Amino acid sequence: MLLTLDLNDPRPLHEQVAGTIRRAVADGSYAPGDRLPPARDLADALGVNANTVLRALRELRDEGLLEFRRGRGVSVLSRPDARGALAEAVRELLAEADRYGYGPEEVIHIIRELS
Amino acid sequence: MTASASRPSTSAPPGGRASSRGAALTVAALWGALVTAVLVAVPLVLRDRLPEPVAVHWSGGSVPDRSMSFVGDLATGLALWGVAWAFLVGAALHGAALRARPTRVHWWGFLFGWAVFALGVQGSTLLANLDAGHWRRALLPGWTVLAVLGAAVAVGVLAGWLGRGEPDRAPERPEEAPRLRLRPGRRAVWVSRTSNPWLLALSAVALSAAAGAAVLTAVGALDGSAAWIPVVVAALTALLGLATATVQVRVDSDGLRIGFGPLARPAYRVPAAAIESARVERAVPGRVGGWGLRSLPGTGRVTLMLRGGEHLVVRRTTGGEFAVSTDDAERGAALLNAYAAESAALRS
Repeated sequence: MLLTLDLNDPRPLHEQVAGTIRRAVADGSYAPGDRLPPARDLADALGVNANTVLRALRELRDEGLLEFRRGRGVSVLSRPDARGALAEAVRELLAEADRYGYGPEEVIHIIRELS
Repeated sequence: MTASASRPSTSAPPGGRASSRGAALTVAALWGALVTAVLVAVPLVLRDRLPEPVAVHWSGGSVPDRSMSFVGDLATGLALWGVAWAFLVGAALHGAALRARPTRVHWWGFLFGWAVFALGVQGSTLLANLDAGHWRRALLPGWTVLAVLGAAVAVGVLAGWLGRGEPDRAPERPEEAPRLRLRPGRRAVWVSRTSNPWLLALSAVALSAAAGAAVLTAVGALDGSAAWIPVVVAALTALLGLATATVQVRVDSDGLRIGFGPLARPAYRVPAAAIESARVERAVPGRVGGWGLRSLPGTGRVTLMLRGGEHLVVRRTTGGEFAVSTDDAERGAALLNAYAAESAALRS
């Protein structure tokens, strides 16, 4: 599972972790029924506390993205809907725009120009 | 010689695979019938000169210590050969045994080497009993054991070498694994965990055997200090099995990290600076020489084989290659390529 964290993202860490897992499921690395690596592996890899990852996983379960099953660990239940996947991509876009000094209003302006 | 005349020798015939399997099965059938005939006919011909029962086991080099009826000895000799032969024919019919070179070499080696072993065992038994009068007087010269083993190994190696066939075609190189774009201010990691369910199950069995034996020894049902030996052996087997049945493969800015066992410790690391490139390949146990940590001479590659399927293959800057069974290997290879390129750029 490929996970990325934005070091300048002001959001709480568990939201960011949930975001990167949501993106990994959205881009097809994990299909419904696939098992995720154990939470401890994810926490080690990201260098965050295991509880942070568990909180992110619980959020995703509440969204209906993941399911927890005894003996089988955490597996993917369904793909995120289009809106959820888009929201994650837009959040990334806004973060990138911020690095260049552009605010959301200016990004909206660029989108209007392009479409 | 014209180009058209030399063509048939350079391109394999379309039925090459199937016909080589057919040839192998024909040889196995004829050879099996011949060996079986010898194993039946020779003892029957010599029956009048053998004691009843015949000596079948010797201890201390040459003194007989166990006997068996003539028919029992005949059946044992046949079974020693027949079971192995049936297994080899079954493996050839299944097809996988002859497809890759390492298993093909073993197949041919066993077909002839084991036959020599079975014939040698029966032959030396008959030789010792011949004209002995009583099985207690059937002496077996010590060198015959070594001679039988040596001949079996020599014939097996020769047969394996003769039957090795053409080298395996290298799996076609996939186009360069895509390199992930690393973006500033982001930390990217990739992690995957792969297990061998059979090995996990075996370890669990060994662990419960160890626990059961430990309890029995502790309450005194099994007795003496010697009872602890199987406990320790089973426990060590279980721990070793657990440690090697599952691996965690991780790629981060430091490079590749392979953690063993459920705790992902201990770990083996390949720093990003020591990696030239990474890619994905499909591999099966028959092609790399089996399960576990495997290396075949001449390939320059070490494979940690847990199951057939996707493998992450890492090429070192020193030239060697390392492969490990892992799911989702393509993303891992892409990220590893990105980090390897980054570290190469930093050095130049």
